[in-house]
Amino acid sequence: MVEFKNTSFNYSKQSGVYDINLRINENEFCFLVGPTGSGKTSLLKLMYFDIIPSKGEVNILGFNSKKTKLRNVHKLRKKIGVIFQDYKLLQQRTVYENIALPLHINGLGRTKIKENVSEALELTDLTDFQSKYPHQLSGGEQQRVCIARAIVKNPEIILADEPTGNLDPTAAHKILKILEQINKEGTSVIMATHNYKLIAEKEYRIIELKNGRLISG
Amino acid sequence: MIDQFAFLISEGFKNFFRNKLASFLCIITIFINFSILGSLFVVGFNTNSLIDFFRSKYTFEIFLENETQPSTYEAFVEQLNTDKIISNVKLIDKEESAKIFEKEFGEDVVEMLGYNPLPISIKVFLSEKDFEFEKVNSLISTIENMDFVDEIEYRGKYIDQMEDRINLAIFIFLVFVVAIIFLSIQIISNTVKLSMSNRKDFINILKYNGASRFFIKTPFYIESILQSIFGGLLAFIFVKYCFVGFNSYFGLNVKLDEFLWIWIIGFSIFIGIYSANQSMKRNLNE
Repeated sequence: MVEFKNTSFNYSKQSGVYDINLRINENEFCFLVGPTGSGKTSLLKLMYFDIIPSKGEVNILGFNSKKTKLRNVHKLRKKIGVIFQDYKLLQQRTVYENIALPLHINGLGRTKIKENVSEALELTDLTDFQSKYPHQLSGGEQQRVCIARAIVKNPEIILADEPTGNLDPTAAHKILKILEQINKEGTSVIMATHNYKLIAEKEYRIIELKNGRLISG
Repeated sequence: MIDQFAFLISEGFKNFFRNKLASFLCIITIFINFSILGSLFVVGFNTNSLIDFFRSKYTFEIFLENETQPSTYEAFVEQLNTDKIISNVKLIDKEESAKIFEKEFGEDVVEMLGYNPLPISIKVFLSEKDFEFEKVNSLISTIENMDFVDEIEYRGKYIDQMEDRINLAIFIFLVFVVAIIFLSIQIISNTVKLSMSNRKDFINILKYNGASRFFIKTPFYIESILQSIFGGLLAFIFVKYCFVGFNSYFGLNVKLDEFLWIWIIGFSIFIGIYSANQSMKRNLNE
């Protein structure tokens, strides 16, 4: 499903990821851990082709980083749900409109959009917030909107970049629980975090990075 | 597909109203630039009328020898009438010449001298449409060599010089217009770019959610077209009523092209789309 082959990417001499060899299988839930600046975000960005390796290659859901043309990257992203630490929500749109956005992008009809958004709202416990604007919500609620937007299109894989980074422990646990639920329904989840406490009791695979290099996993 | 297209169109309209400040700035920029360009266009349009006015004065007069027989000059008039560069020919016989003389100098030349010394002449009016100095000069030298022609009166050289100066003025004017167009494109383009770079996050959100370039670009194009229509329309109304005011206040007769509104709005849409496209290229790293 996801495969890194001798992959390197560097922003400057001191930051980036180097010689990554990694394979993540279908329906897997794994944590990407490491201190700030260890390369977690870069590794995720390489997965949704926001950055392209300077050396080696990435294979994901049938797309190869060397062969995929820039104009076709959107086809890969339609199959991936991305969750950001800073939520990246559209402030001038309601919760419902934010969640419906990927479905409009995929060209779904109004009825199907309503159906899928309702399901996503229910799963993330946001049904009562659908008419609100992001600035009217707490951090945890905004992150749930971000998750709902990522899952609404039924992606094959969820990439979550520090989704609990800005949240209190209760909200963080709630987010993790939702991601586990999504994984149980058949979607692979790769979650970057440096919150070791949160994942301590979990028995999922842990991929550890340090200074841009793979330490374990 | 229809749902998606309807969504994109409605997004374009919504964005136009959502981003009020950016839309306002773009409309004002388009309005100012196209008011200047529209005014220059009206001036240019009327410069052509000035040339047409001069050309309508292009005539020359052929004075014939006294002994010329009517059959000769009548045949000559007929021959002149067939020439493409001549629009009209008027024969002025001795009696009419005397009348013109009396009108201009207040004396009856026949009464004064006891005979009419004035020659028969032919006034030739040249076609404005097919006018060419080379052809006229060649015709005049042919006529000059005819036995029955005494003299030709032609002020073409002065008119030629005047037209040269008008053409030079038009050239300078065109350079000026091109410079203004270039500046307008830059200013409008930068305003649109500025309004789009403010929405870089929005574009990124669309990108990360799998939006194609078409999906990202279309609402921006629609927004840009709306701004151009509003800006262009305001510029047209301003230019039109400024010249209507000038005409009535200064008693001028400045004409407005009936398609001026299409020209202004059409060109502003073109620049709007071009600017939006340039800006999108930068934001989408194309």
